[in-house]
Amino acid sequence: MAVLELEGDTAAVSPVRQSGRRLGGLFVAALLWIVLIGLAAILANVLPIVSPTDMDFLGKRAPPSAAHLLGTDQLGRDMLSRLIYGARISLTVGLLSPVIGLVIGGALGMLAGYFGGRFEALTVGGVDVLLAFPPLVFALAVTAYLGQSALNITLVIGVLSIPAFTRVARAVTLSLAQREFVVAAQTLGATHMRILLRELLPNVALPLMAFFLLAVAVTIVVEGALSFLGLGVPPPAPSWGSMIGEGRESLDIAPWLAFLPAGFMFVTVLAFNVIGDTLRALTDPRPGAL
Amino acid sequence: MARFVGRKLLHLLPVLLAVTLLTFLIASLLPGDLAYTILGDQATPEKVAALRAQMGLDLPIWQRYLHWLWDVLQGDFGRSFRTGETVLAAVADRLPVSIELMLMAEGLGLLIGIPLAILCAVRSGGAVDRFLTGLAFGKLSLPSFMVAILLIYLFAVTLGWLPATGWVPFTEDPIGNLRSFVLPALTLAFAEWPVLMRVLRSDMIATLQEDYIAMAKAKGLHPARILLVHALKPSSLTLVTVTGINIGRLIGGALIVETIFALPGIGRLLVGAIYARDFIILQGVVLFVAIGFVLVNFVVDMLYAVLDPRIRHGRA
Amino acid sequence: MTKGARLLVLAAAAAMFAAGPAMAQKQGGTLTVGLELDIPGFDPLKVGVYDTSANIAASLILETLVGLDENGKAKPKLALSWSSSDDFRTWTFKLRPDVKFHDGTPFNAEAVKWNFDRQKDPKNNCRCAFYIANLLSVDAPDDLTVIYHLKDPAVNFPVLLTRPDQNSSIHSPAAIQAKGDDYNRNPIGTGPFIVKSWTAGDRMVLERNPSYWNKGYPHLDRVVLRPLPDSQSRFASLKAGETDIVWADEFEADNIVRAQKDPTLQVLSYAGSGAAVNAINTKVPPLDDVRVRQALVMALDRKKISQALTNGLARPATNPYGDGSWVKCKDDGALPEDPAKAAALIKEYGKPVSFKMLFTATPRGRANGQVLQQLWKNVGANMEIEQVDQATFPPRAFQRKFDIIGWRIVDFPDPDVQMYANFHTGSPVALANYSNPELDKLLEHARVTPDEAKRTEDYCAISRIINQEAIWFWTFQNTYYAVAKAKVKGVPKLFGGVINVSDAWLE
Repeated sequence: MAVLELEGDTAAVSPVRQSGRRLGGLFVAALLWIVLIGLAAILANVLPIVSPTDMDFLGKRAPPSAAHLLGTDQLGRDMLSRLIYGARISLTVGLLSPVIGLVIGGALGMLAGYFGGRFEALTVGGVDVLLAFPPLVFALAVTAYLGQSALNITLVIGVLSIPAFTRVARAVTLSLAQREFVVAAQTLGATHMRILLRELLPNVALPLMAFFLLAVAVTIVVEGALSFLGLGVPPPAPSWGSMIGEGRESLDIAPWLAFLPAGFMFVTVLAFNVIGDTLRALTDPRPGAL
Repeated sequence: MARFVGRKLLHLLPVLLAVTLLTFLIASLLPGDLAYTILGDQATPEKVAALRAQMGLDLPIWQRYLHWLWDVLQGDFGRSFRTGETVLAAVADRLPVSIELMLMAEGLGLLIGIPLAILCAVRSGGAVDRFLTGLAFGKLSLPSFMVAILLIYLFAVTLGWLPATGWVPFTEDPIGNLRSFVLPALTLAFAEWPVLMRVLRSDMIATLQEDYIAMAKAKGLHPARILLVHALKPSSLTLVTVTGINIGRLIGGALIVETIFALPGIGRLLVGAIYARDFIILQGVVLFVAIGFVLVNFVVDMLYAVLDPRIRHGRA
Repeated sequence: MTKGARLLVLAAAAAMFAAGPAMAQKQGGTLTVGLELDIPGFDPLKVGVYDTSANIAASLILETLVGLDENGKAKPKLALSWSSSDDFRTWTFKLRPDVKFHDGTPFNAEAVKWNFDRQKDPKNNCRCAFYIANLLSVDAPDDLTVIYHLKDPAVNFPVLLTRPDQNSSIHSPAAIQAKGDDYNRNPIGTGPFIVKSWTAGDRMVLERNPSYWNKGYPHLDRVVLRPLPDSQSRFASLKAGETDIVWADEFEADNIVRAQKDPTLQVLSYAGSGAAVNAINTKVPPLDDVRVRQALVMALDRKKISQALTNGLARPATNPYGDGSWVKCKDDGALPEDPAKAAALIKEYGKPVSFKMLFTATPRGRANGQVLQQLWKNVGANMEIEQVDQATFPPRAFQRKFDIIGWRIVDFPDPDVQMYANFHTGSPVALANYSNPELDKLLEHARVTPDEAKRTEDYCAISRIINQEAIWFWTFQNTYYAVAKAKVKGVPKLFGGVINVSDAWLE
């Protein structure tokens, strides 16, 4: 049966390197999009686009026109402009938050999985506490005390993502820690640091990176959900997630209000994924997948 | 093995204490003095002071926490100042709803995600893989509050197959109960399956390149057996981890889904308590959710050992 | 047919016709109501204030002494008649005899007094006590006579008792004493429906009261109340047939328009008095300068705001009374909508104008906030949106911890209560921190004058002062909506925003 033919497997996996030209096309497209959206986000202020907050009260939910290339939203604001300014917030929060989780959580998880004992018990316990703690209370407390801003939201989501990264890193490390190459390194007298960095980290990095790319997508949407609850980036600053939330009310009259930001998000996240896939294929001799 | 299990169980208590203490601390620091909220316009400084004394709010935080803890150990979880309901009654009414939703959602998510992941892993790099990857990320880009309303309009309003809102107790009408959970569970499952599928696919592709898989192939084992028995188990670590996290999170309720589908779950109870500064309910709910959560973690840790024998035996 | 049978038929026919208008209504059936919010409970001591959802439920389970007829005038309910002293400070009500609470205990003057005393008792710290601040005491000289003693005269006192709220609804004293803390979720009243079951967050099932004092009512066998917080799924549940009538408001303009075009649905709307309002804290710079305040008010273009937020359904307001009130002003002193002049005033003020405004952390609150923010930005004022949850509003209001805050003057048969509370010096809800002896005098005078024309003059003068000083401003008049299946009949005007289905029937 075709699905279970493992023979075809090895051949099916190597297209990653074989059809270099085909994947190359996709890779270039992905790279172009990321560069484009990144530049647009950074240069938003100087681009010849309308203000994202100016409202054309009588022209709400307008279809695309010369004045508004992608139409207007439910308060009459230019969609294209809001999508570009929204990229700023969404990309910043979407990328930085998981980085916090990745770095802190990944490190903690690896150390816990490797050293075990008291340290592991404490780390796992601490992470459990953070996971069991109602995230909304945390978000409310932070925004109440530090105010609402993109930075604070990044912190909140970042901290809340640490446990997941810790657990994933720990799980992978646990299974690797007894492997031959680690045992061998230990026998040879390698220091813990060396083992961690040289032997374990490269192997743990793969599943963690896969998780990271997923986390980027999830974070952009979580920011939107938090904005929905009034805890995200303060209005009128747009973000893709909050635009999706606002567009929800007009789904049957003007579905593009929600689907445009969702589409931008989809393409961006997919692009990151393609780039990640390709880079990994070029740097890692062992065929894996992201 | 027994030591392993015992050690994991000992884990429960400190985590529970820490979670409830942390909640107590942070909740107490939330703006919006409870006494002012209760007294409203009646709030003269004298009355506020009197009410605070009466409710024990003027005691130091650690003392209040210990009082609460002492009451809890005697089985008294307190009453909501707003509704007069006991915490136990409030939680007992809603926890089954959230648990049933969680089980169905995660179950559906795995049901969709696992076969798709295997398919992608086996055909990795091919057209099917790329299509499903695109689909997964596309689905992630649609938040639950959008999917929910789309499902409602399709299945409830247009087709009339399933109820748009509400919930029927299982004891009253089992079929109706399951029907009322389909759309909410689907909404959540749709948000879960992309993540589950991607992590399993990723780990599985890596596993399929391992030597022992090649050896199994060389031994002439049936491909299905290789996939499902030899490859799936050790690839499931991240999947189990993520599932565990999701289940734990879902025990705490799925606020948006519960609100849209009008399900009386833990999420709405929790958020309502936070917004009303109803601390007794908040503490009680957090406690029960934390218990459930730690138990789930315990099961997940056990599963690690089952899935990968090296974990079970390799550690002192 | 035998003679006996013919007589029987004739008698039956006669009985049918004698029943009169009741023939048009059909008996029986279950009506499901979609509410906006879940109801925390009914004990005034616990919940303090009933919100609209609680009012809707209370209108079915509990009753007030006085009801409202089709024209918004007082009609007998639990009280048959009433009279007052010459100074309008003492009001005597004669109660309806032979009325029982759902638990069988008798409804009488003692019960009314007991309810009042409990709310008023300072030891109970009831947040509801604020709303009966003007009532000094209640006497019950005999079973069917209740005497209210007021602090300040109230010419329209009976209509103030018509709203099914925390103060006017009469609970069974025996039940409260027996159940204590549990009474909150197990209310006992005299109303046409009895609470059969109540699953928190899910639904409340009410059954017909077989011993209801008004024979022939209610028509329905059962009413199910379901809190459906999400507006889109609430409307979807109506279309899917899970609910028969749902609460709506003008922010759901798309759904209302859709319902108007749908022959299987009907839209009930009531242009009430009052308005959506905003209070400016006049003690906080830069809002302490009247030019800044006036500029903010003149910068508003209500038609455009209405178009943006409610597809034009919201009706602009220029005074706190609205078209639905008997107070009609020729000149209410409203400032003109003139952004150019507003910008000039801001410039004249000279210093930068920057302040915060409180909004609920909901999509509606945010939309509202962003629109106002934009309009004020256009004239040079910088407003920062502060999102808080609904529960934080009252404490922030009472403690005056705000620059500008949204509030509401709800539809009520008489403007006195709210106007006095909101603007008289010393009142806890005089949110603007503004004191004006002339304004106080007008408010006091309006209370005691029985002549409606003179009162109208007073209220219009009050409106002129408030508008010119720009201490509060009004955006839109209150329009209350309910959307229902076409078969739902017998729902009166949505007075106070309450959907009263106690007399409803299903076609």
